[in-house]
Amino acid sequence: MKLKNKSAMIAVTAMAAGAALTLSACGGQAAGTAVGQASSTATGAAGSDQAPFVLYSAMGYDAPVVKAFTAATGIQVKLVDDSTGPLLTKIAAEKNNPQWTAFWADGDTAFASLDQQGQLLPYTPAAPYTPAGQSVVPGDHSYIPTGVTTVPAVIYNAAKTSAVPTSLADLSGSEYTGKVGMNDPSQSGPTYPLIAGVMNQLGGVDQGKKMFSDLKSNGMKVYPTNGDTLHALETGQIQYGMIQSSAALAEVLKVKPTADFQPKVASLSASTLLPGVFGIDKNAPATAQEQAKKFADFVLSPAGQEAMKNGNPDGDSLFWPIISGITPAAGVPSFPAGYQHIDPFAWGPRQADIVSWFDSNIK
Amino acid sequence: MTEQLRQPVPPFKAGPGAVPVAGTGVPGLASAGSSRRWRSPEGRKTWSVRFSPVLAFWLAIVMVLILPIGAFLLAAFSPRLLGQGDEWFTLSAFSAAFKGTLLQALADSTALGLVAAAVAVGVSLALAWLVVRTDAPGRKIWTGAVFALLLTPSYLLSMGWQRLLEPSGVLAVAGIDCSWARDIYYGPVGIALILSIKGIPFGFLAISAAMRGLGSEFDDAVRVHGGTFIDSLRVTVSLLGPAVWAALAIVFAESVSDYGVASTLSSTSHFPVATYAIFDAVEAFPVRFPVAAAVSWMLLGLIAVALLLQSMALKGRSYRVLGGRSRSGRTLSLTRPWKAAAGGFLTVLILIALGVPAFGAVSASMIDGLGSLQSDHPLSLTNYDHALHSPNLLGPLVFSTQMALITATAAAVLALLCARMLAARSLTVSAKVLDFILLAAIALPGIVFAAGYIFTYNLPVTAALNIHLYGTASLLVLAYVASALPSTTRLLAGSMSQLQESMREASRAHGSGPVWTWLSVVLPVLARPILSAWLLTFSGTILELPISQLLYPPGSPPVAVGINQALGTYDFGGGTAVEVLAVAFSLAVIGLASLIFRLATPAGWRKTGPQS
Repeated sequence: MKLKNKSAMIAVTAMAAGAALTLSACGGQAAGTAVGQASSTATGAAGSDQAPFVLYSAMGYDAPVVKAFTAATGIQVKLVDDSTGPLLTKIAAEKNNPQWTAFWADGDTAFASLDQQGQLLPYTPAAPYTPAGQSVVPGDHSYIPTGVTTVPAVIYNAAKTSAVPTSLADLSGSEYTGKVGMNDPSQSGPTYPLIAGVMNQLGGVDQGKKMFSDLKSNGMKVYPTNGDTLHALETGQIQYGMIQSSAALAEVLKVKPTADFQPKVASLSASTLLPGVFGIDKNAPATAQEQAKKFADFVLSPAGQEAMKNGNPDGDSLFWPIISGITPAAGVPSFPAGYQHIDPFAWGPRQADIVSWFDSNIK
Repeated sequence: MTEQLRQPVPPFKAGPGAVPVAGTGVPGLASAGSSRRWRSPEGRKTWSVRFSPVLAFWLAIVMVLILPIGAFLLAAFSPRLLGQGDEWFTLSAFSAAFKGTLLQALADSTALGLVAAAVAVGVSLALAWLVVRTDAPGRKIWTGAVFALLLTPSYLLSMGWQRLLEPSGVLAVAGIDCSWARDIYYGPVGIALILSIKGIPFGFLAISAAMRGLGSEFDDAVRVHGGTFIDSLRVTVSLLGPAVWAALAIVFAESVSDYGVASTLSSTSHFPVATYAIFDAVEAFPVRFPVAAAVSWMLLGLIAVALLLQSMALKGRSYRVLGGRSRSGRTLSLTRPWKAAAGGFLTVLILIALGVPAFGAVSASMIDGLGSLQSDHPLSLTNYDHALHSPNLLGPLVFSTQMALITATAAAVLALLCARMLAARSLTVSAKVLDFILLAAIALPGIVFAAGYIFTYNLPVTAALNIHLYGTASLLVLAYVASALPSTTRLLAGSMSQLQESMREASRAHGSGPVWTWLSVVLPVLARPILSAWLLTFSGTILELPISQLLYPPGSPPVAVGINQALGTYDFGGGTAVEVLAVAFSLAVIGLASLIFRLATPAGWRKTGPQS
């Protein structure tokens, strides 16, 4: 092709492509439907022309809570709702220039790591925590617990088995051979805290590794996430699943028991608390930080807790409140008598090594 | 624009003695894009560069592809530059990446890529021949089925097979012992099967487009010289070389970079693949971008080998079969037994590729507890009723449709330019670079590609310059375009390489300008491949997940993110119902686009060569 033909063709097509791409700027902003969606300016009490409050959240009830917050305060929230993994990926990629104001997800090890990197703004809400709640509040108040679930909750099919485990050691016995399943810690957020909790309870990493090796020798199967482990339970591939308490309770509430399938939940001697956690970006604009603090206060208020309890009734709403005077949603049993909380600042840095070991030896 | 205005402006005030150097400036339109060398009266040489469309094209490629990919790959060597560590230069990410089973995973990925490419392209060749060149029954259905398959997420593909084969699954409930098949499926064979199925649309679109441009004169020549049907087929396949190699390259690259299968079936089957290492580094906590970048370099190495093989296979040959005298290929009338065989082949293929995942989707979204130990499995549309009122469906679906329409249009236009460069008889260095960059973009899984976009367009310096692209729909579209460009380009390159220069030259000789020549000669011949490329991009964009997750504007989730949210809250029935509705809606858009093309374009655009 001669230069002039090429140039002319490129000019025409580039203009057409440019026109199409330009359209995206107008086409892309009109179709959002997330609740609490805002324009680029917030319209709270502070007025207009200020940085927006951007919430990265992996909570199943986040959209209803945001809606209730906006209704109560007039503050608009830009919600980025996704799973914990992609949101942490996004936060890590944005490290040079963070775009989030606050992050809300299950599990405090990631927040401990963000705190160690100096990314979190300490804030102490006035809400009265229960003793369990106080046990998960960090010493430097760098993040705010909003509720707790536990790991592992052992969900089992009572229609097919009568044995009910009371400890993890039980599950490595002959009665449970080939019948136990759990999630993959590299794909399931709540599963590393489960493993770390076991190691913490048994006295160290090596003791925990031996326990999981024993379980594997006893035929334990590993599935990607809570949903996959539950599906394996429903189809009879396993009889016992070690998953997050909210997922186990949701299954019990959702499924109509039959002659072949009656899901029930057993609590082990010491469950590990998995707090739902809210953290504020230290580098966010001051106005957005103030709005995030108001959001934290709202979440811990009776109205916010109510929105959390009703927002995702078949999932994350099945948590235990940690604010005095707040009762859990219907269907949530009483708070486990025996529980532990692992130090996220100690166990967080070990996550990569432990998950890598699990990947190579247990999966 | 006047001739005077088109003259390049020298960097100094040209005195009366200043003269342009011969050969460096072409009067007229051509000079609009050329740099021009000037010589001062004193004989000192200087350069002046003004706006050039070619430069603008490369600038666009740099912006949408090279910078994001380069930024991400740089993380392997210089984590600190991107805020991902303390070292300015280190190779530690490579040693971390090579821990454990990575070498095994790379070998597995290579083997899977080769198998998937061979199977998908082999099936695509047979399929394209049956659809384009024969009167096989059901061939018209297949064209629609290709797009349905393209739209089907790998989640649905693997779920369909899982529902069939799992313990207490459908076959087990029906009393059929399928444990042997289950053991095979949960392993490399199952992964290769899913990847091959996912590769068929790419292979079919590339090869069928080129096959339509292949006239019957080659068949006639073979037969006149006493050749058999097999000889004729061999010549046909040979002449389709660029399209076949393009298809092989696409399917190989798509397979080794597949993220969905890596994070689901591969993980469950305990069969390591390279992308799982990337998944592990990027989506598991703590996020380790340098390690993911190091693994990505390995994937790029695999792609470089694939490109080298492609280049060696096509070197020094011409495949320009589309000229002014091209006749459309004859439709072969099959005998009854062959018709039955062809119909059977197409039916089995559709059942395997679409029937099983469709069953999986229906069983998940309409029959609660099918395959489970729950005794009653009522057929219910409750999930669809919920989906229609779900905030995860309607708004996000409208938004994704807008994005997909813009992306498909922009990508088709840019892909034409890229394909034109790649189809040149002898590739320039810049074309070879472009070729590698485009394939590299396929080799990188979407999520790391998206991370590269964040690294590039969320720098403090861009904010200081008041450039706020990150978090806007514009950047999302740019990333969609960049991720679609490689496969779209390769799809068009096969057809573009068939065009003979003589057609354009004849048009120019008769006084047509370059634009009119392109519109009147090239566009009609390439209209169908362009439509295919547009539909391919639309289909690939509307349910795209990894890029959408990291780059969607706050408050405007694409439909794939909405589906993911539904599935993430254990609402499998509801999530799958949203997915089925999204696929059905996309198919309706594709059908509408095809209908408009059929009604609005001249007959000659729809069928290469003179109409018989």
